[in-house]
Amino acid sequence: MTSPTIPVELIAPLFSPQSFADPQFIDVMMREVREKYPLAIAQVPGFAPHWIVSKWADLREITRQDEIFHSNENSKTLVTEAGQQMIYDYTGGKPNVLETLVHMDPPVHGKYRAVAAPQFMPGPIAAREEQVRGIARKYIDKLIAHAPEVDFAAEIAFYYPLEVIMTLTGAPPEDLHKILQMAQWFFNYADPDLKRPDFDPTDPVQVVKTWTMVLEFFNEYGNKIIADRRACPKDDIATILANAKIDGCPMSESSLGSYFLILGTAGHDTTAASTATAMWILAEQPELLARLKAQPEDIPKFIEEVVRWATPVKHFIRTAARDYQLRGQTIKKGDRLYLSYVSANRDEEVFSDPFTFNIDRPANKQQIAFGYGAHMCIGQHLAKMELRVFWQELLPRLDWVTLAGTPKVAMSELVPGPKSVPIRFSAK
Amino acid sequence: MFKKYICSICGHVYDEALGDPDSGLAPGTLFEDIPEDWICPDCGSDKSTYSLIED
Repeated sequence: MTSPTIPVELIAPLFSPQSFADPQFIDVMMREVREKYPLAIAQVPGFAPHWIVSKWADLREITRQDEIFHSNENSKTLVTEAGQQMIYDYTGGKPNVLETLVHMDPPVHGKYRAVAAPQFMPGPIAAREEQVRGIARKYIDKLIAHAPEVDFAAEIAFYYPLEVIMTLTGAPPEDLHKILQMAQWFFNYADPDLKRPDFDPTDPVQVVKTWTMVLEFFNEYGNKIIADRRACPKDDIATILANAKIDGCPMSESSLGSYFLILGTAGHDTTAASTATAMWILAEQPELLARLKAQPEDIPKFIEEVVRWATPVKHFIRTAARDYQLRGQTIKKGDRLYLSYVSANRDEEVFSDPFTFNIDRPANKQQIAFGYGAHMCIGQHLAKMELRVFWQELLPRLDWVTLAGTPKVAMSELVPGPKSVPIRFSAK
Repeated sequence: MFKKYICSICGHVYDEALGDPDSGLAPGTLFEDIPEDWICPDCGSDKSTYSLIED
């Protein structure tokens, strides 16, 4: 039996960073994919064939079986075949440029995750709440100083989550802008406003140069802090990393650099996207703003729906380690699977009326933006806490807010968050 | 006295006093009596990822 395929003219935009600047376009496209091709192959020119996994239940089934669906057999994120070859050439045969938790398989993944995971459990995160609340107040003061108009994404949302994660990590606050820039150069390489200046994504030399600049930055940055913490331990994540052992040995320099990279990138750009999306929604829905001001106990439900709505990470790629039956199809050993998290979070079988922002939806605890299985976002409790704290602090001071222009979303096939959310507002 | 266990992946807490009615575990179900194929209701990880929360 031949496997079903999705018409190229329907699915090709999913393989283009530019498409994600229009979230509604992606929603419409993936609604048709879920309806007509819930599990089928995309054969887009320039790319290896990928199963497009669009259903919530299928994502859960795949991502809870890391032994079968590997993260480090091919690139964990979408690349062209030429791009995959460039990665092999650059790394000396490895499938990913980065070696972070995201890119690891068992049993290595579990060992590295266990180093920092206890710090991100609900109890330790709750203990950090007052510290985070102080950072939130600082950014709200900054926001109000910009009244009556500000680009909320560029001035506030990009920096607040970054300062939170870097503070917990132990990084000097004066380095925030450089870390933000490095993260944007790496992950927003296709966006004209966020990419490295003069960078041409079609030029392999430029691509490799950017990879090298970003990796060298995080390796040097991380290892400088690690050296300090080995000499002078503090109450921060850097100290835990500095003294961690994997199979009885200290973590390697590249592993430490990767840990800093994942903290400095995934630790903030996803939450930045949710923070900016939340303001975007409130600027368009004054009745929701009024409700949350009157009923702050609903803020956690608001946050959960914001995260579903934003679904900051749009996809990851897995590779089947053996043949596997799924939804009546045979996934063959070696097949790539494109997991569409944004599609899963719009799956009509789980979320009724999925294209309506509804903080009262009964299934919103089921949203899958943080992933599922052993790779579930290590920072999910921090993300939810810092979002909750920010709105708990801002809402009593925010009288009203409207859009002062058209928001813009970054061109990225991976984390296309809002890059501009111009607002007009009154606050005290 | 009932105990609590935490999932090392996602932080879900299994409270023996509350059980997990959504997955068929009645209040009062001891952790050791949970079937081995039970999975964390939040992240889908195996029962083996849970550890006892010490008082």
